[in-house]
Amino acid sequence: MDTLARIKELAVKELALDLSKIDPAAPLDALDVDSLTFIEFIFKVEDEFGVKVSDEDLRKIKCLADLERHVAAALQAAGKA
Amino acid sequence: MAARRVAVTGIGVVSALGQSIPEFYRALAAARSGIRHLPESVAAGSGVQVGALIDWDPAAHFKAPEAASLDRVAQFALFAAGQALAAAKLDLQNADRTRIGVYWGTGMGGAGTLEAAYQTVYGKNDFRLRPLSVVMAMNNAAGSNIAVKWGLRGPFANFSTACSSSAMAIGEGMRAIQAGRADAVIAGGAEALLTPGMLAAWQALRTLAPADAADPAASCKPFDQKRAGLVLGEGAAALVLEEESKARARGAPVLALVTGYGNSCDAVHMSKPDRDGQVRAMKEALAESGRAPADIGYVNAHGTATVVGDVVECEAIRAIFGGHDVPVSSTKSMHGHLLGGAGALEMAAALMPFQEGVLPPTAHLANPDAACTVRHVTKAERGAMPRAVMSNSFAFGGSNVVLVAERAA
Repeated sequence: MDTLARIKELAVKELALDLSKIDPAAPLDALDVDSLTFIEFIFKVEDEFGVKVSDEDLRKIKCLADLERHVAAALQAAGKA
Repeated sequence: MAARRVAVTGIGVVSALGQSIPEFYRALAAARSGIRHLPESVAAGSGVQVGALIDWDPAAHFKAPEAASLDRVAQFALFAAGQALAAAKLDLQNADRTRIGVYWGTGMGGAGTLEAAYQTVYGKNDFRLRPLSVVMAMNNAAGSNIAVKWGLRGPFANFSTACSSSAMAIGEGMRAIQAGRADAVIAGGAEALLTPGMLAAWQALRTLAPADAADPAASCKPFDQKRAGLVLGEGAAALVLEEESKARARGAPVLALVTGYGNSCDAVHMSKPDRDGQVRAMKEALAESGRAPADIGYVNAHGTATVVGDVVECEAIRAIFGGHDVPVSSTKSMHGHLLGGAGALEMAAALMPFQEGVLPPTAHLANPDAACTVRHVTKAERGAMPRAVMSNSFAFGGSNVVLVAERAA
């Protein structure tokens, strides 16, 4: 499964989102996810992929697609991708 | 203007004896204890052997994201409040919710969240904590979550006076309705601190009972010669309190009236109880209710089963009730000590005679200590129809709260 699909699957489980309605480019507000809850979600994603998103990068993540790019980059840097 | 009287129109409970009023009352009537050996995952190295631990499955009550944002104490609180609201048949959609308040009590608040954060910081040297740590751990989170969930925008208060917290919440909630500041209030309390660190702290107080070798469920023995200390429990209880005439006008089930609230401080010692402080709180509650001691047909004692505490409380009860043969029991023998949630859960137990015609007993009271002489209820007594009941809550820090409730006419 590709990275985005895994993130989406986690979003369905942890954020109770409807898979068919997840738009990776949609801002978090549109998904009805508040910023603190999203940071908690990012922690779950870190655990899932075994990577860390830096605090600096955290601030730049505005949607699931942003998150996917950071995770993919981190995986590549760690030689996991 | 006629005095505003306060009715109880709904009750909800989460306890080791069950997670509904019918289950709770059935267990009390059967003298069934919810106390058991604590698993290693809970007790860890604390040395605490027994507790009234709840088998709690958050997924049965909350979607995963909601559960993840709520400490166990808030989950208990929400489930108890939901039961109470449903029982009261309060039509929140059409109610003026600026006139409905939340008065809640808890000793430790989000103990599990706090402990998890400390584990991360000190155990893993990782200082990046969950963003929701503060709003999950803060002491007012359980009550605030009740307000948020049902949009209750009236007066809000959260009391943290150890073991009297939720009795105080009920008393002060009653005051808010009497004073005209609210027409209805969700009042109660919750506690969830069966965590390794909290248990270690309690164990250090040397006030917890060890497991009864023959029967762990019988480890808490209030008033008995063999009593060896309290047993911690967890859970929540919520009452819907309403201004009586409004409750009756909408045809609400009026389960009881809360008519007396006594509140005193020993101002003597942080942990040693004081008879005079307890007597003053009982007198004040009786005086407000306008009832004589002889009108009280059941006392739900604080009765923690500590060596000193039970004796002092029985002295205080004798000082108030004198020759009156008032039936007394401590239901902590079954549901354990809920600390900040104790007053509310025990108020639910104290109202049992009104609902069921049954006085709940003190379980495991085989040989009453002569120093604890009162008229003990050692088995459920059926056919009891008390006019009024009393519930005592006496806390570390010297806070004493006594509530008097009456049968609804």
